[in-house]
Amino acid sequence: MRGSFFLAAVLAAAPAFAHHSFAAEYDGDKPITLKGVVSKVEWENPHMHFYLDVTDEKGKVEEWKFEGFPPNMLVRQGWRRDVTLKVGDTVTVFAWRARNGMNLAHSREITMADGKKILSGPPAGTGGGN
Amino acid sequence: MSLKHLIPAILSVSMAAAQKPPVPKTADGKPDMSGIWQGGGAAGLAFAIGADNAKAARPDAAPAQAGRGGGAQPAPYQDWVLPKLKELRDRRLIDDPSGRCLLVGVPRITSMPLPIKIVQTKDEVIFLYETFHAFRVIPTDGRKHPDDIDPSFMGDSVGHWEGDTLVVDVTGFNDKTWLGVGGASLHSDALHVVERYQRVDYDTITYNVFIEDPKVFTKSFNTAPSFLSLRPGERLREYECIADNQDIRRFEELLKTPALFVRPPQ
Repeated sequence: MRGSFFLAAVLAAAPAFAHHSFAAEYDGDKPITLKGVVSKVEWENPHMHFYLDVTDEKGKVEEWKFEGFPPNMLVRQGWRRDVTLKVGDTVTVFAWRARNGMNLAHSREITMADGKKILSGPPAGTGGGN
Repeated sequence: MSLKHLIPAILSVSMAAAQKPPVPKTADGKPDMSGIWQGGGAAGLAFAIGADNAKAARPDAAPAQAGRGGGAQPAPYQDWVLPKLKELRDRRLIDDPSGRCLLVGVPRITSMPLPIKIVQTKDEVIFLYETFHAFRVIPTDGRKHPDDIDPSFMGDSVGHWEGDTLVVDVTGFNDKTWLGVGGASLHSDALHVVERYQRVDYDTITYNVFIEDPKVFTKSFNTAPSFLSLRPGERLREYECIADNQDIRRFEELLKTPALFVRPPQ
């Protein structure tokens, strides 16, 4: 009954809430937490992206790009454009890395400088498992 | 919980129910479903507006954790479809048409995490979906499906009332969408969907879906019952999906190096 098991797994794995498969681009087994300074916010459909300048222990600065929810969903969760996340903010982002190994990740939660946490993207596995 | 605590809790719940306005009616006595709604049940609401917001908006609909899902029943696919489903899953659903901003079909459109505006008139019920700006104009005055249907992503819908329930018959689909009752759920152009919408109280429309497709399924079936939640104060916003859709470009890059995303053999 391997076929049945497989089918059940397919049908249970993916609520239809996602615009596209998380698992196609990102690896749910590669969580990453990065602290940095916001350098750019792209408040665009179908998904928001933002960039962090992350300084490593040797003082080298690397740019990381993060994907997030659609702006329409962010607004309904309490975000405000140009207010909630601004260039120059120091934040800590929990995310999952892209499969291609680039400095790209799918964000889930942002911790602001004052410790306040806000959701920024869907949980891993959305739309296709890991 | 002790009796001392239970009684106030019961009173509180029943008072909340009593304070809820009645289901609005149209001039001809039908339940009026006009308004802005969020589909996908409790999980859909939690996903669309955040779990805390969902709990505040609908304490009766304890928001489930959206994401990994679970509990769905397997659809009765014919054997020849299974290898195709496996291949799509092995490709981590990168082929999902919604990733390319294509209309997602029925019933999947109902559970997308963006709101739906329903405009109900005497002869039609009009659904306006924020998701990909889809719309459906559903006649309820006895009109039948046209005899010149071109197969389409959203199909052709006609409705009628059975008591307080709006029953919508949808046919004339192409085979380019995924059903979205879970995973890479393929269907053919023989797909036939019957939706049942019932506004059971002021802020809830129950949503039940019957599916048949003799080319891919061994039998007809019903998807898990779901509901839409009223979203007072909400408005539809633009959701232009193509202009900044970086996923398509990244998908193309990934496809050049399949080892990055293809699942290892099981």
